Amino acid sequence: MSEGLPPTMTEDLLRPLLRTSWRFYLLVAFLGSIVAMGLGTWAYQMYRGFGMTGINNPVYWAFYITNFVFWIGISHAGTLISAILRLVNAGWRRPVTRCAEVITAFALMIGAMFPIIHLGRPWLFFWLMPYPNQRMIWPNFRSPLVWDFFAISTYLSGSLLFLFLPMIPDFALIRDRSTGLRRKIYGLLALGWRGTTKQWHRLESAMQIMAIAIIPVAVSVHTIVSFDFSMAPVPMWHSTMFGPYFVAGAIFSGIAGLIIAMATLRKFLHLEAYLHPVHFQNLGKLLLMMSLLWGYFVFAERLTTWYGNDVAEMNVFYVTQRGSFAPLYWTMVVVNFVIPVIVLSLKKTRTIAGCVIASCGVCVGMWLERFLIVVPSLSHKFLPYSWGHYRPRPVELLITVSTFAAMALLYVLFAKFVPIIAIWELKAGEHPSPALSPVAAHEHALGETHA
Amino acid sequence: MTACHAENNIPTVGPAQAARGRAMHWLRVERYWEGEFPDVRLKFRPVMCQQCDAAPCEPVCPTYASHHTAEGLNAQVYNRCIGTRYCANACPYNVRFFDFFNPAWPKPLDMQLNPDVSVREVGVMEKCTFCVQRISAAQIDAKAEKRELKDGDVKTACAQACPAKALVFGDLNDPESEVARLSRSPRGSKLLEDLGTLPKVTYLARQGDA
Amino acid sequence: MSLYALYRDGHGAQRAVDALRAAGVPDSEITVISAVPMEHFEFGEMNKATRIWYVASGGGLIGFTFGTWLTRMTELAWPLPTGNMPIVAWWPNLIVIFELTMLGAIFATVITLMVAGQLLRRRPALYDPEVTTGEKILVGVEAPRDEKAVERALGDGVKRGGGE
Repeated sequence: MSEGLPPTMTEDLLRPLLRTSWRFYLLVAFLGSIVAMGLGTWAYQMYRGFGMTGINNPVYWAFYITNFVFWIGISHAGTLISAILRLVNAGWRRPVTRCAEVITAFALMIGAMFPIIHLGRPWLFFWLMPYPNQRMIWPNFRSPLVWDFFAISTYLSGSLLFLFLPMIPDFALIRDRSTGLRRKIYGLLALGWRGTTKQWHRLESAMQIMAIAIIPVAVSVHTIVSFDFSMAPVPMWHSTMFGPYFVAGAIFSGIAGLIIAMATLRKFLHLEAYLHPVHFQNLGKLLLMMSLLWGYFVFAERLTTWYGNDVAEMNVFYVTQRGSFAPLYWTMVVVNFVIPVIVLSLKKTRTIAGCVIASCGVCVGMWLERFLIVVPSLSHKFLPYSWGHYRPRPVELLITVSTFAAMALLYVLFAKFVPIIAIWELKAGEHPSPALSPVAAHEHALGETHA
Repeated sequence: MTACHAENNIPTVGPAQAARGRAMHWLRVERYWEGEFPDVRLKFRPVMCQQCDAAPCEPVCPTYASHHTAEGLNAQVYNRCIGTRYCANACPYNVRFFDFFNPAWPKPLDMQLNPDVSVREVGVMEKCTFCVQRISAAQIDAKAEKRELKDGDVKTACAQACPAKALVFGDLNDPESEVARLSRSPRGSKLLEDLGTLPKVTYLARQGDA
Repeated sequence: MSLYALYRDGHGAQRAVDALRAAGVPDSEITVISAVPMEHFEFGEMNKATRIWYVASGGGLIGFTFGTWLTRMTELAWPLPTGNMPIVAWWPNLIVIFELTMLGAIFATVITLMVAGQLLRRRPALYDPEVTTGEKILVGVEAPRDEKAVERALGDGVKRGGGE
């Protein structure tokens, strides 16, 4: 980060907060109406009964669980970029961290709605929480769904705090530059931050600890989501590989989501001076690596299943490879593996546009992957007499679409009220602490500490 | 099957919902055709909840709605069910059913409802309970009369209705009971035994079959 | 009443801090406020020692204890056998215990930051918005014992600020 930052940096990054055009209101109204439609559809589903969905015997989980796993997967973007890159002192993360952490927070919130939406009696979802009550009911800690509750709560709390802590100095910046109601609100949010050396040290230490803590939590969250499947004796669910497979897939889809979000922000908020092509190239390389890793996991799983030749598992195997799910399956392979590997390996195509195209494909592919894990296995369990099929119904499609609108809406609103690039982190990157910069690049300057 | 529906207040879902795979037959009779015309043979296999000793549906229920009783039954507590449907996914026998809509019995069918069995509302899972209401009733009678339960005191609705006496119910822990004797028969096998669910239902192969 | 001055860059601030030290003001009474962490200067290293790592570990321990107690107590309070598993099933309990441990560490860290960073404090503290708006560095003393010496050390442009 030794290239000079534009002198108008603070103005550029605060402009979205201070100036609002009619396009913003139009966008919010559009997205808001889709989200409202989604909420209305859910209310309709609760009113008319869960039978409005396409769920049947034996396919008792379908779109909603696919969406759940998909959004929790997208939420792993922030953890990789913010936490891991912070811990390895990768300076290029600085303009990217807040974009990524925001995706995590909102994707988690959306993903966490789905276990409630898919319940038969959603108004009783709080029974998953352990609290003393006169019904003498405690949740069953042996159930992966209860693990989901704890894991997602922990990850959501951790991510929100991880997002909020570095926002405090930026809130102080906005507070000092504004007047009236805005000053009051941002003053409250800044929690009285001043910027003393003590506060900076405590903040940096806190961020270090949070980064170290949030990584195992993120790994555990998607592992526990995968345990929803692997703990049930369903053909091709009961795989020991699901934990790492799902975590790799989550990071994969998370990076794709991040690239799309960053490219959109860069274009619409005019952040070309802050989000450079090199950022996209670095993320593109990470996406390529995750695509290869995903391909490796799929290959290992399918090869092992094929060699195992278990009757029930082979039924599911063939129905995805050659049977009714084959078109979806091969689409998934092409957009998750073939296209990203080609586009992202060649430097010529690893441009911003190329990364975005690959990422859009990956989002589609990863959604299909979750669907193809859930539905084919459930429709072909052990007793052929009870095999079934599944067709999504309008309520499921509408709710799925509205979650994408919800994500976009939350993101747009966030970028309106908080600078999407951490101003103080960018500035601090110009003169990183000697502890962070390697000795070879370290330049002696007057008054600097002697390492 | 009809006896089961009548005894346990199981709704009929209608042809449209049944076509979508939502029929709720706690006990289903599977039919298998063997051979070519004119030497066709028909085999029946009634499948209901196997009340597994190592039931995969039990540990996955987040609210303990599906759990094991001291007597060895797999209990389904409708009031605790929040409808995650995980138990139905985990069940390898596909014998768990979900109430997709609030059931309706058009008059005068509502007069046929069994007062000993609750009517389930939308959003809960249900399955064969081995007519637990009849088991409890017999136990209460035996206690009132200050005696033990005898073999034959409890008859599930399906066993009682079957004209061919193909279904036999009793106490497996009583080695003299008919069901315990039959389960030890060399003709006996269990469904999906190699999954390790320890099902309690023994299927006896037809005499003359392997 | 506090005395402070604003400096345009880190070098000026470093000189002021050294001058204050020469005037006999201990490090714990010198306040340096900046818009970004200035760890490439010596004064940026002040007040670095922290026990937050121990507190975070302690929070993790509390979370661990709570998780162990919660899972064991509830499973024994309502012993319902499921799927041939033991009543107190420690394998799956480990998952919940892990999550609560991490949650404890996270909450302990954030609370420590609030407390040790003196965020949310009620009394007005020494501050000047020029730090962020003008990108200056503030060096000052909150309750100077020897006002004249401090004024001399800070040089020109000494201001009186809030704080007690």
